[in-house]
Amino acid sequence: MAISDLPPLDPEKGEWDEKALSRRDFLEAAVVFGTLAGAGAVAVSVPSMRFLVGKSLEPPVAQWVELGKVSDLSANDVTRVNYSVRGTDAWREVTKRGTVYVYSDDGGESFVALDGTCTHLGCIVQWHDDEQKYKCPCHAGFFTREGEVISGPPPRPLRELPVKTENGVVFAEI
Amino acid sequence: MNRTFQWIDERTGLSGPIRAFFNYPVPKYVHRNFLYTLGGLTLISFSLQVITGILLVFYYDPSTEGAYNSVDYITYILPLGWLVRGIHHYGASAMVILISLHMLRTYYYSAYKKPREINWLTGVLLLFLVLAFGFTGYLLPWDQKGYWATKVGTEIAGSVPMMGAYITKIMRGGADLGQATLTRFYATHVMLLPTAVALLIAVHIFQLRFHGMAPPITERAKAQSKKFLPFFPYWVVTDLIAGLGLLALLVYISYINRAPLEFPADPTSSNYLPRPEWYFLFFFQLLKYFPGKLEPVITIAIPLFIFGSMLLLPFIDTSEERRPWHKPVTTLVSIFYIVVILVFTYLAMAEFG
Ligand code: HEM
Ligand code: FES
Repeated sequence: MAISDLPPLDPEKGEWDEKALSRRDFLEAAVVFGTLAGAGAVAVSVPSMRFLVGKSLEPPVAQWVELGKVSDLSANDVTRVNYSVRGTDAWREVTKRGTVYVYSDDGGESFVALDGTCTHLGCIVQWHDDEQKYKCPCHAGFFTREGEVISGPPPRPLRELPVKTENGVVFAEI
Repeated sequence: MNRTFQWIDERTGLSGPIRAFFNYPVPKYVHRNFLYTLGGLTLISFSLQVITGILLVFYYDPSTEGAYNSVDYITYILPLGWLVRGIHHYGASAMVILISLHMLRTYYYSAYKKPREINWLTGVLLLFLVLAFGFTGYLLPWDQKGYWATKVGTEIAGSVPMMGAYITKIMRGGADLGQATLTRFYATHVMLLPTAVALLIAVHIFQLRFHGMAPPITERAKAQSKKFLPFFPYWVVTDLIAGLGLLALLVYISYINRAPLEFPADPTSSNYLPRPEWYFLFFFQLLKYFPGKLEPVITIAIPLFIFGSMLLLPFIDTSEERRPWHKPVTTLVSIFYIVVILVFTYLAMAEFG
């Protein structure tokens, strides 16, 4: 942008101010504008981004859910538990639901709980008693009774959940 | 009458631009040529989505507890609800088909070449945004289909190396799918995307007006390229007829086939097979052949490659040649992609029965 770039004004209308004709003044104003506009853009976009991310990255609040009475859970087989528990989902009070598989390695003394969510893309796996393995319906991922990957796309074993027993009732932390 | 126009023109200065817009000279070979109405038809289908979308927002309840029932209410109880939702539902598919055909038309006519690169680039962005419309809209009924497709879809975004886990959480608004996810998808679907698409369409069409139509490729059309007709009413009438035909088709399909609504989202169901909308099926199918560590090849590398090569196309193919039958490389590449998409869509459909 130089002085000669400005289109001539109709003399009836008036004329360009000298400021406008000075390359230095022009550059100065342009630099001030650029700096302020950049600062303004940062001042608007950074908080906007932070606002949009919100609380997405915070770990979910862990919650103990009841899996059932010791006497109701099988000592030898794998039991499927569809739990539901009151909890908060963002600003909403909801019933959270999910699937946990429970089994015992010591004939019902203590229990192991596995999150039923496939570690591949998040479908819920099914326990097949006859074959003694979990099968994911989505892309044919297979897991052992202990949750180790046998075959298929899942990258990790099924997630094991902390378990506790209180007054004969088994809980898992989800 | 004239005085009113003059009064308005003196205050707004608009009559010149408006007149120029309507009198814009359109080459004769474009007149009544279906291939050249595809862009306009895409615009008409976008307008139909905007109108029916605004209507739906009057009844839709964007909450995990209310969404399903509100969509059920719209579909089965509300007078003409089936029609409005039907047009919006099937219209989304129509828009994807039309934008793809329009893109193929401009591709085979080499309309992306200098000086129309920006026309093509805005087009590629529009295609991407139209797919984003489809992805975000799919979740809104909060039924099994939308819930599981979104769960898998956001998980796929998580296979990006390093930042994957963050991307998934930011898309979901938390670790799990829930209210925050629904609100995000809703805001994107009804505020962000329509605004972005409308702005890009404005740039796209301004570019078109600035450069005029790309040169014709057939001898017959070339012979007519020095004859012009005004945009109004000659071109608009063709587009309007095609648009009314599209509307009639959508009304008919909505009438014989209610827009589907499955059972409400159930996070515990283990026999539900997630499947995306039909235009993402080929991609979903491809995933199956690349298990484990190879997965990012499909989820990240291939989409980036395709999208990237589309963006770069006008800068790679800079020859003067515009006739597809004299440009074997671009023609064969496009046929390869079309065949891959058709074959894998077919395989996926065969699998889902
Ligand atoms: C919302 C989506 C879109 C709308 C509303 C739209 C609209 C239009 C319209 C009305 C025209 C003129 C008529 C015609 O050529 O059919 C046009 C031309 C064009 N469009 Fe699009 N379009 C969209 C998406 C795309 C996409 C996805 C691409 C390619 C990636 C694209 C590339 C082009 C090009 C290169 C032209 C110039 C054609 C020529 O000069 O012959 N557009 N668009
Ligand atoms: S989601 Fe389980 S195998 Fe893909």
